[in-house]
Amino acid sequence: MPRAASRLRRSALVAFALVAPASGRAAEPDAATILRRADRAVLGESAAYTLRMTVLRPNKPERIVEMKGWKKGEDQGLVRYTAPAKERGTAYLRSGENTWLFLPSAEKVVRVGAKQNFGGGDFSNADIFRLSLIKDYDPTLAGQETVEGQDCYRLELKARDRQVAYDRVVYWVRRDGTFYPVRADYYTLSGKNLKSLLVSQPKPLGGRTRPTLMTMESRVDEGAHTRLEFLTIQDDPRLDERLFSPGALERGE
Amino acid sequence: MTLRLLAIALRNLFRARRRNALAGGSMAIGTAALVVASGLSDGITHQLSDNLIAVQTGHLQVVVRPDDFQSQNNPFDAYGQDQLPEADALARRIESDGRAAGVVRAVPYLFVRGSAVAGSRSSVAWIVGIAPSREPELRRMQRETSGRFLPETDATAVYVSEVAARKLRLGVGDAVSFVVQTPQGSVNSLDATVCGTFRKGAPWFDNAFYITLAAAQALVDWPGGATNVKVLLSDGSAAALAQARRCVERSVAAAAPRPLAKNTALKVESYTEAGRFSYAIIQANEAALVMLSGFLFAAAGVGVVNAMLMSVRERTREIGTMRALGMRRSSIVRLFVLEGLALGIASALAGAAAGAAVVLYWAAAGIPMHAAALSWMAGGDVLYPALRGWSVLRASASIAGLSTLAALYPAFTASRLEPREALHHA
Repeated sequence: MPRAASRLRRSALVAFALVAPASGRAAEPDAATILRRADRAVLGESAAYTLRMTVLRPNKPERIVEMKGWKKGEDQGLVRYTAPAKERGTAYLRSGENTWLFLPSAEKVVRVGAKQNFGGGDFSNADIFRLSLIKDYDPTLAGQETVEGQDCYRLELKARDRQVAYDRVVYWVRRDGTFYPVRADYYTLSGKNLKSLLVSQPKPLGGRTRPTLMTMESRVDEGAHTRLEFLTIQDDPRLDERLFSPGALERGE
Repeated sequence: MTLRLLAIALRNLFRARRRNALAGGSMAIGTAALVVASGLSDGITHQLSDNLIAVQTGHLQVVVRPDDFQSQNNPFDAYGQDQLPEADALARRIESDGRAAGVVRAVPYLFVRGSAVAGSRSSVAWIVGIAPSREPELRRMQRETSGRFLPETDATAVYVSEVAARKLRLGVGDAVSFVVQTPQGSVNSLDATVCGTFRKGAPWFDNAFYITLAAAQALVDWPGGATNVKVLLSDGSAAALAQARRCVERSVAAAAPRPLAKNTALKVESYTEAGRFSYAIIQANEAALVMLSGFLFAAAGVGVVNAMLMSVRERTREIGTMRALGMRRSSIVRLFVLEGLALGIASALAGAAAGAAVVLYWAAAGIPMHAAALSWMAGGDVLYPALRGWSVLRASASIAGLSTLAALYPAFTASRLEPREALHHA
C-alpha cells in the first residue's frame, strides 16, 4: 500500500509540474518577435491601399495629396498620386535597393535615394515603403512605459550598419496583444532626435482593426509635420510582379 | 631728315585743328575705353583668381576624383566628393617636402552638402570644415561683418555668409542645426551656434557655412579625412607652379594615403584646372575685350583714314609743290605716316590718362554688382577694377599703331600725285 501511495504522489507531482507553468503568467515575447509583429500591424506581407498625405509647414498652406499604393514583401512597393490634378500620375517605385520617381510632366523616370524626402513631406522614401525595421535594426527590449496613454514595450533599435539611415530608433509598441506601434523616435549618429512618428486611430479597415493614422513630426524643423491617413486597405491581393518595374511606372500601370 | 619731317608733321597737325581734334578725339576715347575695359577685365580676373586660390583650390590642390570624372563647369567642381584619407599627414608632408619649391602652406578641408535648419526655416547648406588658424587667406577674402571668425577649437561654432544668415534669420549667438547624409548613407546632424557672419557676394559662397574640420569629420563620420588639400605657393607664376606641381605629385605618390574609394584616384590639379568655371568667365571676359577692341579699332581706324584722306585732298597743291621742289615720294609717305603716328601718340596719351583716372577711381570706390548675373561674373557683389601698366601700354600702343597704319593708304595716295597735276589742282 505505501508503494502505491508513493507512486500516486510522484504522478501528482509530475502532473503539477507539467500544468504549473500554464496556470501562471505567459512569458513576454522577445524584442525580435515584438518588432516583427509591429512591422505587420498596419500593412501585412502584401497589400493594396489608398491614403491621404497632408504636409504641414508653419506659415504655409497645407498640402494634401491622395495616392494609391501596392506593397509586395519587404522590398517592393509602388505608390501613385491620384490627387490633386496637377500631381496626378506622379509615382514612386521601390524594388530591391532601388527607388525610382516618375514625373508625368517630364515623362521621365529618375532614380532617387531611399533616404530622400517622400513628396516633400517628413517621411522618407524608405519610411513610405515600410522597409522592415527588423532587417535594418538590432532590437533590444528596454522595458515598459506608458506612451500616449498606452501601456507599451519600449524597444531600442540599433542600426546594423552605417548604411542604415538612422543610427538608433526608440520604438514603443502596445503590450495589449495587438502589437500596434505607438511611437518611434529616430536618432542621428550624433544622438540627436531628428523626427518622431506617432501611430494612432485604430479602426476597422480591410477586414481587421488596425492603426490608420501615422504622423511624422520633425524635431529639427519647428512646426513641420506630415500626416498619412489610410483610407482603404486590402490585405494579400494578387499582385503581378511586372507592376514593380520601372517600365510599368512609365506606362502608368 | 626724319626729324625735319617730324617737325613738319607736328606743325601740320595744328593746321587743321578741328579735323585732327575730331579724329584724335575718337582715338582718345577708344584708348580710354580700352584702358577701362582692360581694367574691368583685369579686376574680374584678379578677383576670381584670388577667390579661387584663397577659398577653394590654393595654387594647387590634391583631391580624389572618380576615374570617369567630368567637369560640369560649375563653381563646385573644385570640391572633392570622396574621402581623402590621412589628409592632415599628407598636408604636412607636402609642406615639408615642398618648401624649396615655394610651398608656403598645405591645408586640408572638408566639403559636404546638407541642410541648415533654424526654427521653422531651412535652406541648402554648403558646409566646409576648415582649420581656422591655417586659413588666413580665406579669412581675408571672407572678412567678418559681424561677430568673429571661426575659433580654432570650438566644434559647435559656425561662420556663416550674410545671405544664408538672412535667409534663416540668424545673428551672432543664434542656433542652427545641420543635417547631412554621410557617404555611407546614415543621417547625421550637428547643432551649432553662429560665431560670426561674412559677406562675399559671390553666389557660390552665399550658402557657405564654415565649421571646424574636426566637427565636419564627425558630421560625415570620416575621422582624419578631408575632401581637399589646398596648396599655397609664394610665387604663382606659371614656371613656379609647374615646379611646385612636380614636387607635390612626388609627395602624394610617396605618401599614397589609403584606402581610396573604388574607381577613384588622387589627383593634383592647378587652380586653372580645378576652377574651370571661374576660368570660363575670365576667358569670356577676355573674348569680349578682344571683340570690343576690334570694334574700337575699326571705328578709330576709319576715322583716321578719313581725316588723312581729307588732308591729302586739301593739301594737293602743297604736295605738288613739295614734289616739284625735289621731295621724294618716300619722304611724302614718311611725312604722312609721321603725322598719323604723332596724332596717334597724342590721342593715346590723352586717352590713357583719362582711362587710367577712371579705373583708379573705381578701383578705390568699387563698382556695385547687385544683379545676380553681374555678381556671378565678377565673383562678388563689388568689382574693383585693376590698373595694370601692361594693359595701359597695350591699349596706347595699339591705338598709336592703328593711327600709323591708317595713315599708310592716304600717304601712298599723296605720294602718287604727279607734281604738274597737283600744282594745277583747284
